[in-house]
Amino acid sequence: MNTRARFLTWLVPLTAATIVAAALDGGTAAGQGSGQAAAARSASRSPRTAWGTPDLQGIWSNNILVPLERPREFGTRAVMTREEHAKALAELQARNQRPGRDSREVGGKPAIGTEKDVARAYNEFWFGDKPTQLGMRTSMITDPADGRIPPFTPEAAKRIADKREYLAALLQGTSGGRPGPISPRRAEPSTDYNLDRMNRADGPEDRGGPERCFGGELPVVMGTGTFGGVMQLVQAPDSVSIYYDVGQGSGFAWVIPITNRPHLSKNVQLYRGDAIGHWEGDTLVVDVTNFSDETNFHGSRANLHLIQRFKRVDANTLSVEFTAEDPTTWTRPWTAVQELQKSDDKTTLVLEGGCHEGNYGLLGMLLNTRAADQAFREGKGPDPATQDNATGGGDN
Amino acid sequence: MRTRFNRFSGAAAAAVVVAIFALTSIYTTGQATRTPRAADGKPNLNGIWQVTNTANWDLLPHTIRPAVAQPGVYANHPVLAAPVLALGAAGLVPPGPGVVEGDQIPYKPEAAAQKKENAEHWLDRDPEVRCYMPGIPRAMYMPYPFQITQSTNKIQMVFAYANASRTIYLDAAPAVPADLWMGRSTGHWEGNTLVVDVAHFNDRTWFSRSGDFHSDALHVVERFTPITPDALRYEVTIEDPNVFTRPWKMKMVLYRQLDDNAALMDYRCLELVEETFLGHTRKEPLVKHWEGETIMLDVTRRIPPGDKRYER
Repeated sequence: MNTRARFLTWLVPLTAATIVAAALDGGTAAGQGSGQAAAARSASRSPRTAWGTPDLQGIWSNNILVPLERPREFGTRAVMTREEHAKALAELQARNQRPGRDSREVGGKPAIGTEKDVARAYNEFWFGDKPTQLGMRTSMITDPADGRIPPFTPEAAKRIADKREYLAALLQGTSGGRPGPISPRRAEPSTDYNLDRMNRADGPEDRGGPERCFGGELPVVMGTGTFGGVMQLVQAPDSVSIYYDVGQGSGFAWVIPITNRPHLSKNVQLYRGDAIGHWEGDTLVVDVTNFSDETNFHGSRANLHLIQRFKRVDANTLSVEFTAEDPTTWTRPWTAVQELQKSDDKTTLVLEGGCHEGNYGLLGMLLNTRAADQAFREGKGPDPATQDNATGGGDN
Repeated sequence: MRTRFNRFSGAAAAAVVVAIFALTSIYTTGQATRTPRAADGKPNLNGIWQVTNTANWDLLPHTIRPAVAQPGVYANHPVLAAPVLALGAAGLVPPGPGVVEGDQIPYKPEAAAQKKENAEHWLDRDPEVRCYMPGIPRAMYMPYPFQITQSTNKIQMVFAYANASRTIYLDAAPAVPADLWMGRSTGHWEGNTLVVDVAHFNDRTWFSRSGDFHSDALHVVERFTPITPDALRYEVTIEDPNVFTRPWKMKMVLYRQLDDNAALMDYRCLELVEETFLGHTRKEPLVKHWEGETIMLDVTRRIPPGDKRYER
């Protein structure tokens, strides 16, 4: 949407996944009914299409907060007790009552007008609709048993640490970075295909993926609340077409062919990979390969292999599971399950994305930086390298 | 199959069987295996489709011409201009007999002038060049495939170009909170014809690379009629009282892709247009001759060594 897209193009890369991650910060978020319990519900109640397959169609969203990763206090317990749930829900409600972003301060002073305020971009209005329901499950991740993303391989750990150090070097000597002189690394290209928010704007490649309207990575982990997103699923015998309205205007269409053709040549890399679906009983299983290094799913880049499973649990519940596998990133595969709730698909219009079409923000950020460069050259402004234009988002 | 063989020959035979199977198997999307009717008895529109015409270049009858032209020796024979000069035969508009009924688009006089000006500034103004959503009907006849997923209450179309998509609501007409690039589509079946009504457009999309445009009062009615299991007659009525003196029609054929390995691969232009539209904001521009926001092009074309032999 145009209106949303205009706001989107500011600096905050708030994807559904980061909202979920934010919910984790307090360590109190929890989950809904267990996956096993859901599977045990009668599958016979699930509707069928005119051509006989399970009917997965509708508009689905995630209204019940469950963190992706399990807070460590729960150990290997997949479901919390009633007491734990009551306590966590009370904490969630209390957190919802807290004054929002607009009232936040930087260094004891109102944030308005500061560098961080500019980088933060969104005011409280955009965070209006907060999640109010809390599930009984302690994590979306069902495997491994501790409900957490498995450790990185040494290779991935080094790759990620190298990038983190590079990002830190670009902030060095600014208000948001470690002390020290301006780093000569500012002249170096990024250590990876950059999708992060980095403290430099020499060209579009320096800006974060969301700022360039990349967005919409697979697998989609739906969030809750205003930015949680919705998905619309339309089905035919030979394809399933999903529209994900996620990532504030970074909505995207994803067509899954139901086919036995082999995956595309390994030489072909696609932003959202090559999906091939087939039915296993009542479950639509989708195998996705051929990703590119322009996405970053929790550290996994081009070598990501996804297996997604869509299953209608009952009239109002769609179970969406993914197994993520990448031996160059994680020491083992991992699996997470979300249970989505159905919305009325006769009155709800799932809106087109339009992020790129309204992305004057990216242009503005680059032009502003060039203006700052010029002001510095003319002795009218500070060296842009000494300014922090990267850390203002999130909870800062 | 033989029933007695040693391990080695068994493995070899299995490999041969696999190889033969691989050569002869038909993928289930193999478009030839499709039934002409969907489960609900409606025509089966599922599949990957594409036009073979040149409507996206120019809706009206046209001959071959430079995509970007400059005056040549003869007034009516322009030659390739800088932005596409080095492209040679790849920089030309393919000819076409036209898709507009009566070979005329009934622009109001001021709109006709606007269209002409748009055509002259095609590269600066066409939303396609910016990788923007193409709108309807243009999405249907861009020279890239799209996939139809046909259900009983909704039909989803996803276009390779820019990952654009549309939902055709068959049993509902949800309210529209704002103007849309792709409009809102509601449809119904009239016998074998899918009739789709599209409105709630913004005024930002075009109909072609030749500057054909509309306002936000655009109203489109589309008719999809199978003429064979693998071809659809596609008819469009365009109505926009702000731009046209009367409704007008386009007519063309959509063809189903029959390749065994047909796949809808995103035409992901998003980041590849950054250099064109953001190149001037780089600290170290890759294009060396920017004048403000204008790219000043030095076109380099090296004469191939083979050609030089004949130029001595």
